[in-house]
Amino acid sequence: MADQFDSALDLLRRLNPKNTAANLSAICSLVPEHEEELLASVDQPLEVRRCKKTGRDYLLCDYNRDGDSYRSPWSNEFDPPVDDAEMSSERVRRLEVRANEAFDVYRELYYEGGTSSVYLWNLDDGFAGVVLLKKSSSQTAASGAWDSIHVLEVAERGRTAKYKLTSTVILNLGTKGDALGSLDLAGNMTRQVESDMPVDADETHVANVGKLVEDMELKMRNLLREHLLHVNTKRTVTNASQTEEVYFGKAKDVVGDLRSIPPLSEANRERAAQREMINSMGR
Amino acid sequence: MSSTQIASSFVEDAPPGELSNVITDIKALTPSESNLVSQLSPAITKYHETQFSTVKLPGSSSSVLVSPYNSLGNNRYYDSASNTAFDFDPVEQKATNAQSHSLDSQNADQIQKLYKGLRAHADEHYPAATVGVFPAESDSKIALVLVSNKYSPNNFWNGRWRAHYLFSPTSSSLSGAINIDVHYFEDGNVRLQTSKPISISNASDAVRDIAKAEKTYQTEVNQAFTKLNEGAFKGLRRQLPVTRQKVEWEKISGYRLGQDIGGGRSR
Repeated sequence: MADQFDSALDLLRRLNPKNTAANLSAICSLVPEHEEELLASVDQPLEVRRCKKTGRDYLLCDYNRDGDSYRSPWSNEFDPPVDDAEMSSERVRRLEVRANEAFDVYRELYYEGGTSSVYLWNLDDGFAGVVLLKKSSSQTAASGAWDSIHVLEVAERGRTAKYKLTSTVILNLGTKGDALGSLDLAGNMTRQVESDMPVDADETHVANVGKLVEDMELKMRNLLREHLLHVNTKRTVTNASQTEEVYFGKAKDVVGDLRSIPPLSEANRERAAQREMINSMGR
Repeated sequence: MSSTQIASSFVEDAPPGELSNVITDIKALTPSESNLVSQLSPAITKYHETQFSTVKLPGSSSSVLVSPYNSLGNNRYYDSASNTAFDFDPVEQKATNAQSHSLDSQNADQIQKLYKGLRAHADEHYPAATVGVFPAESDSKIALVLVSNKYSPNNFWNGRWRAHYLFSPTSSSLSGAINIDVHYFEDGNVRLQTSKPISISNASDAVRDIAKAEKTYQTEVNQAFTKLNEGAFKGLRRQLPVTRQKVEWEKISGYRLGQDIGGGRSR
């Protein structure tokens, strides 16, 4: 019943992304036979758990899950323990430890707080992994949450490697006030990139993945920000970047399409006057 | 939660103009429960009345409202401007069986006057709005309802501005709410939802006071986007590190050392 799976994804693209986690679990209770596939395909805001052994926070996702247990990237242990868990090779675990150290620094530099986790596992011709970053803030006037999920596949070919990155950012912003009432803006966007890069040692993998993730996050952040800021000027901008257009600015734009602050009769009069002028020039 | 409760919550969350898509998905996800859609009918009716769905009268090009204020029960509603009652099919979203229906209210004259005022206001600020004015609360108040929809699914967006106000002819008080709901879904899923309660104690000219409140509100919403960008959004992730330089990944282990020595690490 592949069409049920498609219907579930279609439904999740329509319902409020703010409620994705609850809606996903409700859908899974309707079609339990698609649960594994849905949990692996749908990105949802990341949950934070504290590692019992190291006391450090880590992020939960489908990639460090085994049944109801999750593996800490800091201790490499499952919580609650799993007897027969499938573990990565020693080499990939060493890479994972390095990557977690590196992205912990990256997180502090860019997020000044928050939580990061990297999980890696073996593939036949290389390895795959996921880089997770999360930051939430809550103030009286406004609250926000950013979740980055970067899934990567690395095919190793001697002295080069092919990296494929699929990145999703989930953003939730909310604000309240007497004059404003409440405003909630929730959304997610996904982008992909592929790159061949030279590799001379395992450390190079961490640097290569780091650069890819850093560039991707900068690009996605700018895309989100521009469309928050540039809304009022958008109509004067050409449609050259139609495909990249959008996210939060678009939401604001549509409000202007629903209601016009200047009276429409004024705008109509101006248009009529303009038409008359053009017509008179043509005569 | 039962399947009906789950499906009802999906109906309630349906974006503007996408109710039938949501119902199609629900049907696909519950093929064994053939009568689920009929079990959903209370939720679907509630959706239409909460969202102020619009429908064209048979043989007419103008839209009329579905709301709790003009319900006659059993999916029958009336329009006070054209004095017409009609059956509304909540799943097909079509009106049938139109008959004349005269307004029975002590405030009938004021209702007609407020309708004209609200219609003129809507034409001045909304490219495509449907409005209705009805007696409410056992004829002690007058409900003013306005909804403006724009659907552009081919461009991956749909939006709705809706507002309702209860006006008391005896005390001239006005109370109600404005709600905006926008869905944008190209390579993603973005939803804007807003809610603003309105309360005006001395509404000497109800429509003018509504126009003023709506204008103030729209300006507030526009400012909120700017504030979110400059505040909450910036606080989540920096554009560049404090050093204003990208990470030197080859030297990443050195960063840790430097920060540890400097005591700059937060954890």
